[in-house]
Amino acid sequence: MSQTKMPSARQRRLRSWLFWAVPAVLLLLPLATNPYTQFIANGILISVLVTLGFTLVIGNLGQLAFANTAFFGIGAYASAILAAKLGVPWLLTIPLAGAFGALGGFLASSAALRGIRSYYLAIITLAFGELMRWAYLHAKPVTGGTDGMPMPRETLLGTSLSDDTLKFYIFLAVTVLLVKATLNLMRSRFGRAVMAVRENEVATASLAIPTARVILVTFMWSGFVVGCAGALFARHVGHVFPESFGMLHLIASFAMVLVGGLGSVLGAVLGAVLLTALPEYLRAFPGMEELFFGLIVAGVLVAMPMGLASLLRRVSPIFVERFYREAP
Amino acid sequence: MPEPLLKIRDLHVGYGKKPILRGATYDVLPGECLTLLGANGSGKSTSLNAVCGFVTPTSGSVLFDGTETAGLPPHKIFGHGIAQVSQARDLFPDLTVEDNLRLGAMRRGGKALSQTLAHVYDRFPRLAERRRQATRTLSGGEQQMVAIGRAMMSGPRLLLLDEPSGGLSPQFCEEIALIIDALKAEGVTLLMVEQNLNLAFRAADRFIVLRDGAVVDGGDVRAMAGDHDAIVRNIYL
Repeated sequence: MSQTKMPSARQRRLRSWLFWAVPAVLLLLPLATNPYTQFIANGILISVLVTLGFTLVIGNLGQLAFANTAFFGIGAYASAILAAKLGVPWLLTIPLAGAFGALGGFLASSAALRGIRSYYLAIITLAFGELMRWAYLHAKPVTGGTDGMPMPRETLLGTSLSDDTLKFYIFLAVTVLLVKATLNLMRSRFGRAVMAVRENEVATASLAIPTARVILVTFMWSGFVVGCAGALFARHVGHVFPESFGMLHLIASFAMVLVGGLGSVLGAVLGAVLLTALPEYLRAFPGMEELFFGLIVAGVLVAMPMGLASLLRRVSPIFVERFYREAP
Repeated sequence: MPEPLLKIRDLHVGYGKKPILRGATYDVLPGECLTLLGANGSGKSTSLNAVCGFVTPTSGSVLFDGTETAGLPPHKIFGHGIAQVSQARDLFPDLTVEDNLRLGAMRRGGKALSQTLAHVYDRFPRLAERRRQATRTLSGGEQQMVAIGRAMMSGPRLLLLDEPSGGLSPQFCEEIALIIDALKAEGVTLLMVEQNLNLAFRAADRFIVLRDGAVVDGGDVRAMAGDHDAIVRNIYL
């Protein structure tokens, strides 16, 4: 394959300008939406964070861990329980839900740190997700069991938090902040070490790089990002149910990671936007939705095995991420 | 005689039940290049792997500048200033040349790192030209330069080279010899395994011959000038 071109200094400046231009334009989005499309837009922002956390672990770190939906559920339940039972303001529950998500990341990484790899790590992390779902169902006094947890009514600056436009601005701020923080983390020396672990873990360790700490921190950051997304989700739907955090959610986020481009922050954003918005547009074709959805996903992957992000990289090196390399 | 930088005493290493090193004892003097010779399976690479911690000795002692390193994990030994360029080179193929080099100095940072990096690029101008290229797109010789350069990034006091000429063109052997000369001039001590006797005798100061995991011969390279036949007989017969 052709050599990956690196962005020039001018292109890098343009890129950082572009990074802030996108959310700046999005600030105007509520002017162009109706309540239904606004709700969809809010859901897309949540998907971006979920996909971002997922791709970090399976794409950048190269660990086949499927605990992503567990982090998401942990974050959502943490937010709902803190808000409903302890009266914590919802905005404050976002970082707290992130912290619980990071704790989930810590638990998931402990399997990886004991040398469990590839399919074995996949199955053990899948079991972790199912175990969490079992806990939501059976810890009725805390989680509400099958009835779920309703989010309490709250107002912020005189506006109800059930207002989708207000939610959009909060979700947008959280998403931009976490995407930027993740980009910076992956651009640092730490990000280089993450890629080195993916490429050759033994060689990385022999260079005195603490691979265990690299794996642990990446899992915990992934858990933090997805845990925060869980808190947004709790407010987004207003009522947290166990069935939101099952295999279907996991498979949908996995598809977003692959369609966007494994291990790419840009890809996480593109995959989440396309696959969250698409089903809504396909509602115009009742009975054919799933068929079209499947065809589009398969079509993208056949035409662009490295995902949507690879298309943009071919257009301009602006979209080449630091340390990101396509497999040959 | 100066105090040895590395003292190996009665070293035993085995894989499973199969013993490889059986009581090897030798010294590496500061600033020299010592070459290990011997037939396949005589314990040359195992010696290097025991020194850098990739395998754990069953008994014996590895004393590096007065510190016992036998049994320490590889990253601790690396921290003491022992770097290995393994036969497989163990590069990160999809990362760029510069990322590979910087990973060699993950534990250092700032000014020391950029100085060492500039120094490595001075030594290997080819790598400077290809700094933004994925390492897998380089030739074998260039990849060997990356591997040696990456080991240099940590500022090692002892460099272990496992078959630096392995799989490379004959022209590149002379380049390896020049690199070794330059490293010695900087005060780096080298312990090398090399099957190519011409390179081994061109670059090394001393040699030892291993057979069945123990040292059976050794000496000064200059004293052996021209008489490679005797050594080859000693190694293989």
